[in-house]
Amino acid sequence: MTQGPDAPRGAAPAARPPRPSLLASPWPRLALVAAAFAAWYFVFPSALSLGITLMLLAGWATAWDLLGGWTGQASLGHAAFVGLGAYTVGVTAANFDLAPWWAALLAMAAAALLALLWGRLTFGLRGAYFVLSTIAIAEILRLVAINERRLTGGAVGLFIFDLQEPFGLDLFSRHVEFWFSLGYLLLVLVVVALVTRGRLGYQMRAVREDEASAQAAGINPVAVKSWAFVLSAALTALGGCLYGVFLSALQPQPLFELHLSVRIALVAIIGGRGTLFGPLVGAALITLAAELFRTTFAQANLLIYGLLIVLVVLFMPRGIMGELERRVVRRRYAKSARG
Amino acid sequence: MPRALEAEGVTVRFGGLVAVNGVSLALDEGAILGLIGPNGAGKSTLFNALTGYVKARGQVSFYGRRVDRLQPYARTRLGMGRTFQIERPFEGLTVLENVLIPAFLRAAGPAEAERVAYAALEQVGLADRALQPSSDLNLARRRRLELAKALAVQPKVLFLDELMAGLNPPALKEMIGFVRSLADSGLAIIMVEHIMEAVTELCEEVIVLAFGEKIAHGTPQVVMNDERVVEAYLGGADE
Repeated sequence: MTQGPDAPRGAAPAARPPRPSLLASPWPRLALVAAAFAAWYFVFPSALSLGITLMLLAGWATAWDLLGGWTGQASLGHAAFVGLGAYTVGVTAANFDLAPWWAALLAMAAAALLALLWGRLTFGLRGAYFVLSTIAIAEILRLVAINERRLTGGAVGLFIFDLQEPFGLDLFSRHVEFWFSLGYLLLVLVVVALVTRGRLGYQMRAVREDEASAQAAGINPVAVKSWAFVLSAALTALGGCLYGVFLSALQPQPLFELHLSVRIALVAIIGGRGTLFGPLVGAALITLAAELFRTTFAQANLLIYGLLIVLVVLFMPRGIMGELERRVVRRRYAKSARG
Repeated sequence: MPRALEAEGVTVRFGGLVAVNGVSLALDEGAILGLIGPNGAGKSTLFNALTGYVKARGQVSFYGRRVDRLQPYARTRLGMGRTFQIERPFEGLTVLENVLIPAFLRAAGPAEAERVAYAALEQVGLADRALQPSSDLNLARRRRLELAKALAVQPKVLFLDELMAGLNPPALKEMIGFVRSLADSGLAIIMVEHIMEAVTELCEEVIVLAFGEKIAHGTPQVVMNDERVVEAYLGGADE
């Protein structure tokens, strides 16, 4: 029995039944994710590359979701931050022999700065206009990468073939990359879990739902969007650093392309925007489905891939985890109302 | 002692239209000021000007401090809470989450915010629906949620924009009693209201707007018998 409007008031607080709390713990499920990918390493030792691309995509999409899902400002420019991370490692290693971990910090700082500046310029834009403006971020970086030949190798690209080794680990080994990618994915999930359970996370939801109402709650929408963008960009860039090492051959064309930006956004949308595990679920579904269809259906794989997206969007507009979560919320309320 | 809220010569223009024209008002702690007038008189626009949602000329002071250049969120942080005429719950969130968001403004952390949020929900009698999706609430409860959200920022001045509209008689009575108790606890309240029962029962002072101008000011009884007010509502004899 919960406290109702008709229940006697003024009862001692200690006598009250425990109130249902929002702050359910995400940590057990996080441990499960860690265990599942650790198992992958031992069960599918021949599919490490697939695991790496899956975890990186999941990490980017989870980071994208901070801005696109939790804060409601969809971006179609996140390839910019992936490319920025990859190129920072490549350029600094080739030209300055900088250690990759310093390059990673540099890439995150650069991505954060870029997001901050871009946000200042464009957060005044509403709805689709903001989305369109984000496409330009990756486009601008792509042009820079093509034209700054001395640093980036231009359209031909850049090879990463020599990196300083942390603790004697060979970063070009798929085994090492697998564990680094898992570490990256878990880091992003932990950051997003912590952020979304705290003040900033609720401010982000408020801005997504209604900016006027958010202001009436004392929230500065531009500041909140800027924080979300900065965090999202920096985390994406970190994954970009790993991707650069994984690819070892960097070219402006696939790295800064709209296709990659769309993929990141799509994966998060299908899995469920504004849910902790939605982007991961979306990334797993899309990556594994693409792999499966590519091997079994050959030419028809793109068609089936497209159909899958249409089906999810039609029948689960909130995404897979979004619909599930909605159901859980309703069930929890029904339970609390029954007492 | 500065007044809780003081406005002077507030003017709002939309292109060539003067929606609010040089309106002044003042409000003390514990007082309830009513803002009435026919549809389109500029009541909600005046509200939006005072809380910062539309650009306005003129001065607005909150406890002696000029706020008329501040963004809405900055005014909220100082202690100006408001409800919206068309309730604006955070649709995708539960009732508790809706109130948790404003509660975070003055809380040290999530646990304290949750306590503040529950206190506000209990005040308006929605605590037992804390986990319900806010989009499932009916009109009367959405109004109460709107009020809980405004209370959760722990305001000193409360702006209520047609909070009573559409409530059935028992709900109306309950809401009137509740607003009264808020004023008794020291809140300064300014309300736009069409329900005259609420206005006469709650407000010591009433300002009447018509075509953006203040045409009368006084106790509800005096104002309701004012010739210009009757004319504004019913239309004048031919001129």
